[in-house]
Amino acid sequence: MMLLSIENLRTYFYSRSRRAFVRSVDGASLALARGETLGVVGESGSGKTVAALSAAGLVSGSPGVIGGRVEFDSRNLLDGLEGYVKVEERDARVMAVEKDERGWGKRAESLMAGVRGKEIAMIFQNPRAALNPYATVGAQLVEAIRLHTKWKSKSEAKERALHWLERVRIDSPRLRFDNFPFGMSGGMCQRAMIAMALCAEPSLLIADEPTTGLDATIQARIVELLEELKAETAITTLLISHDISVIRRISDRVAVMYAGTVVESGAASQVLRPHAAEQHPYTAALLASIPSAEAIRGKRELRAIEGEVPDTIDRPRGCRFYGRCNRVTDAVRGRCANLEPPLAELAPGHKLRCWLHAA
Amino acid sequence: MRRYVQAENVYALPLLQRANPLDLVYVGYGLAIVALVFVSYLIGTLGWLPHDPRAMNVALINAAPFTPGHLLGTDFLGRDLQSRLILGIQAYFLPGLLAIAISLVGGSVLGILAGYRGGGWEILVSYFSNLLDSFPRLVLILLVIAAFKPDIYYVMVVVGITGMPVIANLVAGKIAFLRQKSFIEAAHALGLPAHTVILKHILWLNCRAPLVIQATLGMAEAILIETSLSYLGFGVQEPTPSWGNMVQAGSNYFLQGNFWPSTAPALAILATILGFQLLGDGLNNLLEGKRRA
Repeated sequence: MMLLSIENLRTYFYSRSRRAFVRSVDGASLALARGETLGVVGESGSGKTVAALSAAGLVSGSPGVIGGRVEFDSRNLLDGLEGYVKVEERDARVMAVEKDERGWGKRAESLMAGVRGKEIAMIFQNPRAALNPYATVGAQLVEAIRLHTKWKSKSEAKERALHWLERVRIDSPRLRFDNFPFGMSGGMCQRAMIAMALCAEPSLLIADEPTTGLDATIQARIVELLEELKAETAITTLLISHDISVIRRISDRVAVMYAGTVVESGAASQVLRPHAAEQHPYTAALLASIPSAEAIRGKRELRAIEGEVPDTIDRPRGCRFYGRCNRVTDAVRGRCANLEPPLAELAPGHKLRCWLHAA
Repeated sequence: MRRYVQAENVYALPLLQRANPLDLVYVGYGLAIVALVFVSYLIGTLGWLPHDPRAMNVALINAAPFTPGHLLGTDFLGRDLQSRLILGIQAYFLPGLLAIAISLVGGSVLGILAGYRGGGWEILVSYFSNLLDSFPRLVLILLVIAAFKPDIYYVMVVVGITGMPVIANLVAGKIAFLRQKSFIEAAHALGLPAHTVILKHILWLNCRAPLVIQATLGMAEAILIETSLSYLGFGVQEPTPSWGNMVQAGSNYFLQGNFWPSTAPALAILATILGFQLLGDGLNNLLEGKRRA
């Protein structure tokens, strides 16, 4: 039973400086079963965060989400929204997008009512910035609890808030309750954010780079906390990170995103295994770029991925990774350059978008 | 006894302990002036004046302060200066509050629209404030007086509207600041309704201190404009007292050695405006100065 399934999601933005539409997310498909943790990896600019924000209906910027399906708990959160958008495309390039923002916004909000914050909760990178600087952590937690749970009175909500501060392992919760965000460390703020996100007991948690911007030691603690909470609450988590070690530690399944689409997805052990036979060249390159203990001992040079993430203004004719791929063989070169490979299922649960592994 | 605390916990100290003493003096003086003005306004409204402010006493004109029966002396018609000073507060008190209310409400709305919606609203606010900056306020007020009538409420509506861009910029700036941090996005992700985010989190929690400061500075400005206009004869008309027309009336006798009838209201203006300004400055330092995330 899938809790969240995103199909063919498209989110575009208009870039003023380049006077063109950028396809941040272009046909991405992700699926999360109840209780599992899906890690989404990819370089900066691959569309991971935008895909998650789109799913939660939080994209700000225009034109924003264009279409696709976001099925959450068997209802489509983008149901009937395509009617508000008209996209004009010419020569693999988006020329114009007509979007009835008001109509879209109204319908999207009604579809999202009772979902955002209650059923889908989010935590962000740089937690200190995500808290109101002028309200105490306790007050903000109490507000979230009174908004989403049955504990409506102030004293009950405070009890509950202290309970949650304890659950996210904040030391001396009673003292921290009255702290302002600037009086707390980044790790502490992230714990408070996690408490705020989880207090409504949502069924899905979207963690957008939860450890980025924290000290290395604190990162490990936050990852530990997420692991523990996952074991305790069995919450479904969509974890976005470019830190593969974090993903490897807590994810059950992994999706690799590149240039706005998913190029590989499957069980974490399978996708993130170095030197696997059936692997997308991009995944292999990502894995090769992580410093491993043996590589450091052997003083081997780290391999950065050649080239850059392509801008996604023009839809590529062939594979999106073709320009940077170092595994392309003469047998498939023609197809790689001219035809986008399909996301083919190689083994149950393991999907790959590469001509090398196409049936 | 001095209490030492960790830097991180400085904000756990009571405000009075962590404040700069000079700021406390400013705020103390300002609050005293505000209290004095408010009490005097009530006394004037209730009519508990020592003398009838319009009762002339030809036998006792331009009396010095501490004359028996007239604590602050009398003016050129022998009217009691103390009563007239107290009644003079009526000239600016309510109109000043009206001006502040207009600029706070209008400015906040414009600021929220500019900060939240951006686009056209942002341009509107910036043109609005440029337009007002390029035009002397007093001239605008005199134009309004010429077009309508010399009524202090018309003037204060103009003062209120011209005060709006400052507030709007302040609120829009706060929203931009919070947006650049991901707080507003996070609040939406938490499912907080937009009105809660705007009214409670942005306006109340993040903007209340600067808005209170702007309000006190706005009051100082309103008093200054009212007294200037009354001095020039465009505001409150004799025999109704205003500090401005009292200075004007007294100035005819100034060079004859009777400097007190115009000096008393002038000192009142000075002390009051100084009070509101220092209150604003002191509050700014106390509330805004160091409390940065």
